[in-house]
Formats: sequence, C-alpha cells, structure tokens
Amino acid sequence: MSQPIVSIVDVVKEYQLGSTVVPALRGVSLDVHPGEFISIAGPSGSGKTTLLNLIGCVDTATRGLVRVVGRDTASLAERELTRLRLDTIGFIFQSFNLVGVLNVFQNVELPLLLQGRLGRADRRKRVEGLLEQVGLADHARHRPSELSGGQRQRVAVARALVGGPQIVLADEPTANLDSVTGEKIVDLMKELNQRDGTTFIFSTHDARVMAHADALVKLADGKIVGREVITHDAAVGTGSH
Amino acid sequence: MLGKIAVLLRIAFRNLFKSRINLLIGAVVMGGTFLVVVGGALLDSVVSSMSRSIIGSVAGHIQVYSARSKDDFAIWPMGGNDPDLSPITDWAKTEQVLASVPNVKAVVPMGINAALVTSGNTVDLTLEELRDVVREQKEHGSTPELDAQRASLEEHVRQIVRVLQADLGRASEIGTAQALEPEAKAAVQEASSDKFWADFRKDPYAGLEFLENKVAPQLSDADLLPLRYVGTDLDAFQRNFDRMEIVDGQAVPPGHRGFLMSKFVYEELLKLKTARRLDKTKDALETGDTIAKSETLRRYVRENRTQTREILLQLDRLKTDKAVAILQRVLGSSEPSLEKLLDRFFDTDDRNFQERYQIFYRDLAPLLQLYRLKPGDILTISAFTRSGYVQSLNLRIWGTFRFKGLEKSALSGNINLMDLVSFRELYGYLTTDKQAEIDAIKREAGTQEVDRSRAEDELFGKAGRHIVAEATPGLIDEKENFKGNAAALRREDLVRRVYDPKELGRGVVLDAAVILQDPRKLPETLRAIQARSDADGLGLRVLSWQQAAGVLGQFILVARLLLYFSVFIIFVVAMVIINNSVMMATLQRTPEVGTMRAIGAQRGFILGMVLVETLTLGLVFGALGATLGSGVVGALHHFGISARGNETFYFFFSGPRLFPTLSPMNVIAALVIVILVTTLSTLYPAFLATRVAPVRAMQTEE
Repeated sequence: MSQPIVSIVDVVKEYQLGSTVVPALRGVSLDVHPGEFISIAGPSGSGKTTLLNLIGCVDTATRGLVRVVGRDTASLAERELTRLRLDTIGFIFQSFNLVGVLNVFQNVELPLLLQGRLGRADRRKRVEGLLEQVGLADHARHRPSELSGGQRQRVAVARALVGGPQIVLADEPTANLDSVTGEKIVDLMKELNQRDGTTFIFSTHDARVMAHADALVKLADGKIVGREVITHDAAVGTGSH
Repeated sequence: MLGKIAVLLRIAFRNLFKSRINLLIGAVVMGGTFLVVVGGALLDSVVSSMSRSIIGSVAGHIQVYSARSKDDFAIWPMGGNDPDLSPITDWAKTEQVLASVPNVKAVVPMGINAALVTSGNTVDLTLEELRDVVREQKEHGSTPELDAQRASLEEHVRQIVRVLQADLGRASEIGTAQALEPEAKAAVQEASSDKFWADFRKDPYAGLEFLENKVAPQLSDADLLPLRYVGTDLDAFQRNFDRMEIVDGQAVPPGHRGFLMSKFVYEELLKLKTARRLDKTKDALETGDTIAKSETLRRYVRENRTQTREILLQLDRLKTDKAVAILQRVLGSSEPSLEKLLDRFFDTDDRNFQERYQIFYRDLAPLLQLYRLKPGDILTISAFTRSGYVQSLNLRIWGTFRFKGLEKSALSGNINLMDLVSFRELYGYLTTDKQAEIDAIKREAGTQEVDRSRAEDELFGKAGRHIVAEATPGLIDEKENFKGNAAALRREDLVRRVYDPKELGRGVVLDAAVILQDPRKLPETLRAIQARSDADGLGLRVLSWQQAAGVLGQFILVARLLLYFSVFIIFVVAMVIINNSVMMATLQRTPEVGTMRAIGAQRGFILGMVLVETLTLGLVFGALGATLGSGVVGALHHFGISARGNETFYFFFSGPRLFPTLSPMNVIAALVIVILVTTLSTLYPAFLATRVAPVRAMQTEE
C-alpha cells in the first residue's frame, strides 16, 4: 500500500478554558491513504472538528505527531502552513462560508488568485469547468445570497477543488441541508473522489451520509473507538452512536 | 499579483456601499476633504492678498535694522508702541552693500515715529486770518478788497461770538459750572457789544488780543491728533511700493520736503464730523443695514442733530443766510434759526437719508470747509526726539494717499509719509539745515559754551545782569525779532526748500525695506543679506516681511495656525471615527477573514484587503469632497465674496471682495491628508484582522 497522505500518531489536543484544561483529543492515531473517502463519525463534542482542524493545518496539536503529505505540521511556520493549506487542502464548511460580496465565479476563483499560478484565461477555464461539474454553470454571475443552501454548498465544493488539492476536508457538510440535498452533495463529493482520486475526509453524525463513505472512523470522548471499512453492496452501514 | 490586487479592489468596491459604517466613514472623509479644500483655498487667498498688500505698502519683502536695537522691529508693533531702534548710522555704505546682494531690486530707507499735531481750530484760524488782514492794512495801506475781506471776517467773528452767547445762555438755564464763571460771561458780553467792534476799528490789535485770550479759549474746538508716520526717501518709496496711490493733491516732488497724509487719517480725523457720520451711515446702508435697526446709525443721527456747532462756527453771516435759505426751502419751513433748521435737516431715517445726503453735499458742503486741513496747507508737527525733548517742524501737506487693499483698516491706515530729512530732524538728529541754523542762532545770540561747573556763576555771578526780560505789551513785531540769518532760515518756506539727494545717504535711518526681483527666493536672499551684513560689519538684523509686519504678520500666522489646527481636529475626529468603524466592520467580518485564511490567504492579503478597502473608501469620498470643494471655490472665485463693508473682512480680503483661487496644491494636500488619515486609522484594525485565526472559519453558524 502507498504512503499515508495523512499520518497522526498519539495526538493529544487540549484547550485551555479559564483555569481548567479541557482535553479534546486524548491520544489519537490515524493513517489516511490517498484516494480514500473517509467519514469521521461521533456525537457532538467527540473531537471530530478538532481532528479535522489538525489535519487541515488550521490548528496544531498539543502533543503527538501530525503529518500531512509527509510534512510534520508542528515544524512548519505560520506562513508555510498557510501555503500548505492553499496548495494541498480544500475546505468545505458546515455554513458554506462563501464571500458574500463576490459572485459564484469570483468565489470559486479566489483560491486560484491566491495561488497566483494561473493566468486569467486558464483560471476562467478551470472555474467554468468546475462549475459545470457541480451543476452551477448557469449561476456563475449570481451572488451567494441568491442561491439555495444546496447550491451554495456546491459552490463551496467547487471552491475546495479548484486549486487541485490532494485532500478535501469537509466539516459536517450536510448539517445545514435537508437530507435529500445533503445526500446529493455527498454523492457529488464521492463522484469527484472517484474521478480524480482526491482524498476526502468529512465529519458527520448523519448515518445516511456515513453510509456513502469507504471507511468510517468512530470517535468518542476524544478517542478513536473503531475503524471500519464499508462495503457498498450492504444497504446501510453500521449505526452510529 | 495583478489578479490579487484586482480581487482586493473588487472586494473593496463591493463592500463600499454595503455597510452603513462605510457610508459614515465616507461622509466624514468627504466633509473633511471639503473643508480642507475650501478652507485652504480661502486662507491661501486671504494670505496672498494680505501679503501683497503688506509687501506693497511699507514692508517690502525684507526689512533690515540695526542689531544693536533694544526692541524687535515691527511696522505694526504688537501693543501699538513703536519699538526703540538704534539707528543705522552709515546709510550710504549700508545701502551700497544691500544693493549689491543678488536678487535685490531696490532698497528704501525708512524710520517710523509718532507725533502730536494740532489741527486747525475754527476760531483761531479765523482770528489769524483777521490779524493777517489787519497787519496787511497797517503796512501797505488799505484797498477795497482788504476792506471787504476784513468786514467779512469781522462779521464771521461776531457770528462766532453769537454762537457762544447762545451756548452760554443755554448753559445758565441748566446751571452748569461754566455759567457760573462771571469773567467768561462778561468777556462774551463785551465781544458781542457794538461798542467793542467800534473800538476794534480804532485799535484792532488790542481787540484781537482780547478775542484771542478771553474768548477763543472758551470755544476751543481744536484737537490734538496723534499721527504715525514713516520717514522715507519719498521718491524711492513711490517708485517701489506699488500699493501706494495718491488720492488727493499730489506726490511730494523729488528732493522736496513734505508730508503725505493717509487718506484714512484724513477722513477719520480731519473731516467735518457731521460729514464723516453721513459717509459712514451711507456705507452702512449700502451693505444692507438700516437706521431703524442699527443702534450705531441712530446714534449718528442723534449726534448730527445735536452737534452742529462745528458747522455754526464755520459760517459767517452771509453763509449762514445762504444755509438758512437752503434749509428753509428743503424743509418747507420758515424757521429763522440755523441751529433748529440743522436739527430738523439731520433728523434722518431710512426713507429720507439718501435725499438729505445728496442735499448736504450738493448745497451745504460748498459753504463749509469739509476738512480742517487740505493739500497745500502747512502742518506743524511736534514729535518727541529720541532723547525726549520736543521738536517741532512745519511741513507742507502735499496730498493724501492710501495703500490699496489696506485703505479701510485702522491699523494700516494710520501710517502717514514724510520725507527722510524732515524725519531725521524730528527724530533729533542734526541735519545739514539744522546745523546751519543752530550755528547761525549761536552767532546772533552771542552764546558761548558754558561748563556745567561754572553754570551758576555764569547765570547769577555778575551783578547788573538782566534776568527778567521786559514784556512788550500789544503787538509783538515778529519780523523785528527774527531778523538775521536764523530768521531767514526759520521763515524760509520749507515747502520750497529742496535738499540735496546726497544728504539722504549721509544721515541716519532706522530701518530699510528691501524689494526683491524674485520674491520666491526670499529665504535665500534673506540669508545672503545677513551673511553680507556680518561679513562687512554692518551689524544688521534681517527680517522677512512677515516678521517685520508685526501684528499684521501675526494675523497671517494665526490664521494659518487656526486652519491647520481645525484641519488637525477634523482629522483626529475622523481618525477616531474611522478607527472605530473599521474595527466594528472587521469584527463583523471575522468569519469571512477566517475563511480566507483557512483556504490559504496569507496575513498580508488580509492586511491588504482591509487597507485597500478603507483607502478606496477614502479616495472615492475624498475625491467627491474635493470635487465639491473645488466647485464651491470655483463659484466663489466667479462671484467673489463681498466684505459687506465690514472693515475686518475688508482688511482680511485686502479689498472689497475676495476672489479665492484654487491651487492644485490644495487638492493634492487634501487627498494626501485623506490617504494618510485613512491608512493610519485603519492600520490597527487591519493588524487585528490579520490575527484572526483560520479556525474561526469552522466556528460559524449561519
């Protein structure tokens, strides 16, 4: 098997809340391999978001090792972490987090502008291609406020993928959507995962969403309590807590 | 990179009208820019017109004076007291050195001093004229013309006595102190009697003496006028100060001694007070004031009605009759008393003022002497010399002048002009003329130098010496007493006296104005003059016109500081508002900033985003404000701002209207300030925005 794209070893993450220390992760180890479509499941407060933040390089571990695409995130400066996020990680947020004053096209284009590698024409081709894939080619000039929740999340998916990341992280991507729309979004993610081989890691507590994953990592009280592979001829995966 | 800036600008423009906060910032910036542009243009125009007036009036571009002086030099000194200056003794050399400094066009020597002048008193003047006629008759025999003249003058004096008698009558009615002075009353009674005038024909000198000593003092309407004057090389002055213009009379001819009176002083102090009050009322009415509303104008009306004595005294019987006829016709009255007619005539209101004003100048003024002195008259000037004794000089008034732009200002209008030679004499320095005169007097009188230690012996030591001279009663024969060399000098008409131009260089001057070829190089030339003075041992202190102008210079400085201060305050307030607003806006946008950070925006990008946004805001609204301001200044330039007859405004505007001009520097300065202020006030919130953690992107709820 290939080298893991994400490697987490004995990671502890503690938050200081006033004078008390609140542990969010208490010794987590996890390997994610390229091309995987992994769901992190668990109840609220189990540490799903914290784990995603560590993988997404927007937060650092208190103890333990976090390696993303082979790089120890603890050893990287803030600038380098930002660059790492820009080039290798795409984000899909629970609340979509689109820039309100930019239209759909401009929102999707933003990471490309930040990367600064592509010229105007190439950017246009790439953004339009992605909008096509997420089914929003007709909405390129719309503002986020003119779109439905599902459409907004599609924009977010396009934005996450536009820079050509190796990993896409999605924190509760369906939490703000109705179940049908939510499943469609997960289907879209799955489709892109299978076509391009991009690694997807998403957190959810929705059993139907989990069922689309290739693998399920179960978290409880800051610890991994199980990891299972889901075979898709089975109708619905094992239940969640 | 371009793409990034483009997206920053796009975000900035999109955000521009999105939030109320931005509109608030925009309004503040717009108002601030507007004020800077308009205020700056107004101030610049005021400063430049005032500068032109000051430079072109007396100051020149640079003033030099002796470094040994106790006080600092000022043409219009703070507090009003003229500074104590040490003279520049070797003027010829100083002038030569100054003229050789590059960029110096001309040097004009000067000195400022003040003196008291007795203005003509109607009674005294009339009596003096009468005395002249009497003397003429005595010496050369009578002619029909002289007889007529004498008759008219005698009648005028009798008219004056009648006015005085009426005064006394009124005074005894209300029982004032003067009425209780029996001697005065008796004198007036006597002067009004026919017997007195019959005697007068026999012994006019005795009669004149009686009138002069007993009657005239009761009628003293003479004033002591304080006069400030600049003694200067009048030819050079008139050549080099373009703001000076002759109003009445003529300039002092080259090489002549003489006095030029400021038109302001001439009008304020020497004009018939009734006429002056009418002029002022007319000016006020033209600027929209009304007699009904203005307390001052009503006071003028009251004073014109009651203070008619000046007019009554001026008119002899013939003229009185004419005036009465005119007023009876105008007022449709048969009242015989001129005093009562004048009272009614000057009872003016908003309806009849213009008509009365015209009648006064058309019909009454020809009968009157509107000014106590007129060009061609001789003025006796008494000034304190530097060592403190009083020096007097008779000078011809050649004309009146004004400094264009400063003519209505009491401050600058109080400067009169005099030739330098006369100035030196009044200031207590020996001129060639004076030295000759003193030598001559010494020879005539047989004086000798007396040592202080022997002074008493000389005075009282020898017996039989006349200590008290015998008084000669009656006529003092002036001609007999002032015969000889000294008398020739004393009587010689100073008006016709011409001085040698070389004499200007030989004496002292107190200060000098330096006129430049290129005024823009003033600082360099200032330094060059100081350097030359130091090198050649001239011992000069060198001042720019602004320093030398004293109070006027301070005005400009204060005006400038005031503008800078208000601009500062406006923008400090703006900075606080902008800072707060951007802070709030940034807090509101924490999730957006977090998202951008999470998806890979560096801190610099965030900093840029916030800065570009407020900068765009500042520039857009700043440009709006500047455009609006330029429009307003343009309109003001086209129509001009009227001083509305207000003397303060007139002074600041250096004329009746100010036409402000917009300099590109003003707009540029305003925009630079806007950029600085918005950037500075945004730096901290922008810095805070860069500290927003990318994790914040995950912590949002929609």
